[in-house]
Amino acid sequence: MVQDKFMSYKLASAVRELFGSSTGVITFVGLVILLFYVLLAVFSPYLAPYDPTKSVGLSLSPPSHEHLFGTDNLGRDVLSRVIYGARIALVIAFLSVAVAAAIGVPLGLVSGYIGGILDRILTLIMDAVYSFPGLILAIAIAALLGPGIFNIAISIAVVYAPTYFRVIRSQVTSIKNELYVEGARAIGAKRSTILLKYVLPNVLPSVVVVLSMNLADAIMTEAGLSFLGLGIAPPTPDWGFDLSNGRRFILSRAWWALLYPGLAIITVVLGFSMFSEGLNEFLNPTVREKR
Amino acid sequence: MSLKQYIITRIILAVPMLFVILTIIFFILRIMPGDPVAAILGGKASIEVINKLRHELGLDKPLWLQYLDYLKNLFKGDFGKSTLTGRPVLSEVMDKFPATVELTLFAFVIAVTIGIFWGAEAARKKDKAVDVSARVFAILLYAIPVFWLGLMMQLIFGSYLRWFPVGGRISAFVDLKPITGLYLIDSLIQGNWEAFIDVLKHLILPGLTLGLVISSIFLRMVRNNAVLMYGQDFVKAARARGIREKDIKYKHALKNALVPIMTMMGLQFALLLGGAVLTETTFSWPGMGSFLVLRIRYRDFPAIQGTVVFFAFIIIVVSIIVDIVNALIDPRIRY
Repeated sequence: MVQDKFMSYKLASAVRELFGSSTGVITFVGLVILLFYVLLAVFSPYLAPYDPTKSVGLSLSPPSHEHLFGTDNLGRDVLSRVIYGARIALVIAFLSVAVAAAIGVPLGLVSGYIGGILDRILTLIMDAVYSFPGLILAIAIAALLGPGIFNIAISIAVVYAPTYFRVIRSQVTSIKNELYVEGARAIGAKRSTILLKYVLPNVLPSVVVVLSMNLADAIMTEAGLSFLGLGIAPPTPDWGFDLSNGRRFILSRAWWALLYPGLAIITVVLGFSMFSEGLNEFLNPTVREKR
Repeated sequence: MSLKQYIITRIILAVPMLFVILTIIFFILRIMPGDPVAAILGGKASIEVINKLRHELGLDKPLWLQYLDYLKNLFKGDFGKSTLTGRPVLSEVMDKFPATVELTLFAFVIAVTIGIFWGAEAARKKDKAVDVSARVFAILLYAIPVFWLGLMMQLIFGSYLRWFPVGGRISAFVDLKPITGLYLIDSLIQGNWEAFIDVLKHLILPGLTLGLVISSIFLRMVRNNAVLMYGQDFVKAARARGIREKDIKYKHALKNALVPIMTMMGLQFALLLGGAVLTETTFSWPGMGSFLVLRIRYRDFPAIQGTVVFFAFIIIVVSIIVDIVNALIDPRIRY
């Protein structure tokens, strides 16, 4: 149940149910989608037909041969903006899950291993953050920190850090009673050695699974934040921001400015979720039952 | 434990939880490297102006004193004053609260209706078209951002078909005296049918958007639980006794499938609130979510903090209600 707050977990299990046991196919499709977007992000200057921040056509012109996805209100090419948008989405997603893991994993390790009053307090705090609506918390923090890639990543990371904490802590509490840990203690290994060399390697697979699942959630949250105007400062291409910009032209029926950035978010979220589900099965066949 | 005792215990247990959440909100909003004063003034103000505002907001005091002030004021119902309007934050938030309640309740009803009927039917005809389509529907709605779904609704039903307005809560030309703040109920009480229709038209698109997104969660939970119930002996026994298939579906499979779902509602509610903020912004719905986003634009920090605290109160109250309802449905929880 640890993951149940998050869409990507539900999504991944729903996908698995639909396709039955053919995890290989899901993982493969997810991986292909993922690679596709990574390539888009890395090679966007070569793939995008136009400069995404410059006016290269008429305002709000529908899809045509020159502009396959049309242009936005400032005459910028929507296709180029969607391609470049993969950069911000992926960078913030990876950065925020890395920060979240950097907060949650060490705290979970220490809290689970040492226990006692420290464990009680940390668990209380993490549970409280966990029970709070993540997006609202991220909005408040992002508002305070102001725009910028790092700031947004931190606001998202605060929301997801408790997930790592909970998963790691619960595993550590059982691992610390294993014989090999007891053995290490008996031969007088230092606490830090035990944590880093005996406990940590055994929880790493779960960290990787939670990481990969959180990537989809982080992309969703980032899109939400930038839709609300709390993302990267314009004119940097960003799917969420482009949607909030396109929203003003609903009555002009400029569907192309809304459809494509949204489809990009949906496919990337689907891709990450499918891939993480496969990874989950591969790395950690037992983790699903535990959850 | 009697039900009354259980309810009292549950409410007492909520106090430390509320305290922890309030503390976390305070420290996250104060310890984060951002400076509210610099954020409000935009970094171009003179030292005197900065110090004056710092003093007004009580930020020149030591952190622990600020913290005590914060708790003391919250306890008195004082959420601070908006730096934009000068009005007390609590009364501003309370003004917006009914709009959010109306939207979320409407969405919730849609979500539960879709979830229960489609989910029960999908479970009964497992692996048939109705089941597979339910699963595809759920997957798509997990991956679709709620605001994008809202935009598509506006585009199709508001812009192209012109069936519904794309934003707001009530048309400017419609006269309605607010009583409860829930416009649907207000217009019904006053027998004002023109207003009722107008309000309903405004409510349908945002309600459907939020409802559909949340319904995907219900749908999957109802389906999966009901599938398990269909495999149970009591369903087989009911069939053997010749009970009608409809009664088996609703009175045996579904009823028992709903018990575990109630327990999950607390977490889903947090999701509903987050979705509400995005939906409100998409549809210019004048609730707490749009309020929060608007005040962020004006860097009104007391209002931002007050709204977040108010959301925390809602979460706590809802989690208590969910637990009590659970105890009513499933007597095992009480013992």
